[in-house]
Amino acid sequence: MEFNISTQGAVTTAKLIGRLDTPAAQECAPALEALQEKAGGTIILDCKQLTYISSSGLRIFLTLRKAAVAKGGKVIVRSICPDIRNVFVMTGFLNLFEMED
Amino acid sequence: MLVLIAAVLLEVIGLVQYYYSRKALREEADSRAQSEMVATQLRMENTFITVENSAGGLSWVFTDKLDTPDEIPEIIRLLMENNPIIANGFIAYAPDYLPGKGHWYEPVVSRLPEGLVLHQVGSADHDYFAEPWYQVPMESGKGYWSEPYFDKDGVRKLVVTFSVPVYAPTGERVAVFGVDMELDWLNDLVSKVRPYEDSYSTLVSREGQLIASPPETLEVKKPMRYETMIERTGWRMAVVISEDALYGQINKVSTLVLILQVLGLLLLILIILRTARSQRRLEKAKEARSRIESELTIARGIQMSMIPKIFPPFPERSDIDIYATIVPAKEVGGDLYDFYIRDDKMYFCIGDVSGKGVPASLVMAVTRSLFRTVSAHEKSPGRIVTEMNNSMSDMNESNMFVTFFCGVLDLATGHLRYCNAGHNAPVILNTGKSLLPVTANIPLGIMPGMVFQEQEIDMRYDDAIFLYTDGLTEAENIRHELFGEERMMEALTGLKGSREHLEIMQKEVALFVDGAPQSDDLTMLIIHFLNDVQPSQEERHLLIHNDIQQIPQLAEFVETIAEEKKLDHALTLNLNLALEEAVTNVIMYAYPEGTDGLVDIEAIIRKDSLSFVISDSGQPFDPTATPDADISLGVTERPIGGLGIYLVRNIMDSVSYERTDGKNILTMTKNI
Repeated sequence: MEFNISTQGAVTTAKLIGRLDTPAAQECAPALEALQEKAGGTIILDCKQLTYISSSGLRIFLTLRKAAVAKGGKVIVRSICPDIRNVFVMTGFLNLFEMED
Repeated sequence: MLVLIAAVLLEVIGLVQYYYSRKALREEADSRAQSEMVATQLRMENTFITVENSAGGLSWVFTDKLDTPDEIPEIIRLLMENNPIIANGFIAYAPDYLPGKGHWYEPVVSRLPEGLVLHQVGSADHDYFAEPWYQVPMESGKGYWSEPYFDKDGVRKLVVTFSVPVYAPTGERVAVFGVDMELDWLNDLVSKVRPYEDSYSTLVSREGQLIASPPETLEVKKPMRYETMIERTGWRMAVVISEDALYGQINKVSTLVLILQVLGLLLLILIILRTARSQRRLEKAKEARSRIESELTIARGIQMSMIPKIFPPFPERSDIDIYATIVPAKEVGGDLYDFYIRDDKMYFCIGDVSGKGVPASLVMAVTRSLFRTVSAHEKSPGRIVTEMNNSMSDMNESNMFVTFFCGVLDLATGHLRYCNAGHNAPVILNTGKSLLPVTANIPLGIMPGMVFQEQEIDMRYDDAIFLYTDGLTEAENIRHELFGEERMMEALTGLKGSREHLEIMQKEVALFVDGAPQSDDLTMLIIHFLNDVQPSQEERHLLIHNDIQQIPQLAEFVETIAEEKKLDHALTLNLNLALEEAVTNVIMYAYPEGTDGLVDIEAIIRKDSLSFVISDSGQPFDPTATPDADISLGVTERPIGGLGIYLVRNIMDSVSYERTDGKNILTMTKNI
């Protein structure tokens, strides 16, 4: 699992590559904290290469979202693949995030 | 026995009848012979008396004429003129009685052809004094009948002399007066006495001279002789009757009767013998039939023992459910089926020999043996059938053929390879029912060198294949209607046990034919494929420690299964997700932090579902007891956790928890 973060002005893009399962989610804890600091701006979660997500991964998404709400920022989920989109549908996350192709 | 008694009785009656008839005839013959003899005797005696009386009377006349002896011949002549029966009349005087007449004097009147002639015959050459006809009357004074003799001097015929003494007035016997009587009339008289055709009469003098003789040509067989004595002359008259002639008629009749009786008896015996023989033959036939029947019963036993008849045949196997029935139309039949398992493959076949009865049963036995022999070293049904066909065509002198279907079912995979040789297409029972697509091919035993095409199909869990012989579809009722494929398909309804299927089919057929006699052998075989749980392939295990870092193994685990089951990506991902959530829960909550524990994951792959059984030995933890997450909540209200079990529930079709033997066992199933 790779969690590549790049910042261009107020827009922070996090590229999620690979499987975001429970151990991967734990590994991502530091990166998550770094991202949370940017929650006041716009965070783009690029899911183009995200192949799998479990509830632990979803927690990361929700945590960021909550931080954005708190800080008046914005979280955009981009290029999500149909399989994961399906998980978002199942969990109601589709309504919580701003989706972008 | 009864017949024998009857026959003997009949014969006895015949014999008695014969005996009495014979006796009656004999008595009648006796009386006829006697009466005719007596009548003849009387007539003879009358003549004799006449002669005696005339001679006797004249002798007294002569007494007075002794003085004039020359008158005497004249008197004799007169007598003879009146009595033509008298041949000679004479008077013979005592020696030297008449003076001047010599020592011998005997004047005789003879009846000669020229008339009555007187001549004197007494002389030294004719010394009559010693003759009995002279001596007896002279000495006894009585009349005397002489022996018959041939009168060579006079009439030259056989004559008999009656002589009486002539007394002188002094009372002295001085001469003998005699008359010769011709005997021709006696011969005539006696010869006429013939009471029967084969009979004759004789008259014999005292000294045995024949007076009346039997006809020379007549030969009387078995003579019966009746005799009577004529006292006056001492002659004996006899009547001879042929016994054959007498009994001839009755003998003929009784012989005829006897022959008829014997013939009747023979006929009776013949009939009895024939009846007995036919009885014996009947018994023999009965014996032969019962022998054949018992042999057929044995043959049936042998035939049935060739066919697997014990169900379930593989009680240790749960992946296959087989049932079969075979009902020959006769004691033995030409249908066959067979099945056995080798190397986890089921070899099975069904066949129908043309014709039925004993010839068909022999071909059936050969076919079944060939199937076993060939399939022992051959896995391909196409080659099995081809090889069987070659063997059967080579030795097929009776021109019998066999429709045959052979299949080899891989019990591990459900892959069925089959080959049809002119047999009815089997029915495949899965979610629907349809005839198995088969190449018709020609039956076995017709043409050697044929190559039989093999076909294949995959059987899945709960699929069944129903095989039958045309005894099913062509079962006839009394209106000669056929049971037919449609009724057969209709009866194959629903998912049932193999036995139940066939029993229903049998009931339907019985209902349809309604007591009409079975005309063809009826065989059914059903193979129900139930390979659901195959431990080597269909059950997978994964054992991990209660370490989050081992979670990725789950993905690999699911991936392998998905590949095998050819699951699509989305489903694979979901299954992975559900499994990860469940296992993560165990790792997080079942084992207290810092303790090492194991999580056992078992995947059970069925035809249409996949289950994960997750068990651990940690503290009791029931994830299903957790309330569902509320996904309608907004971002702020949404709790961070609680999504795991929610996802499990959403993805899987059923989730259940149990605590058994100190273990948490979570079973979750997804229908595929």
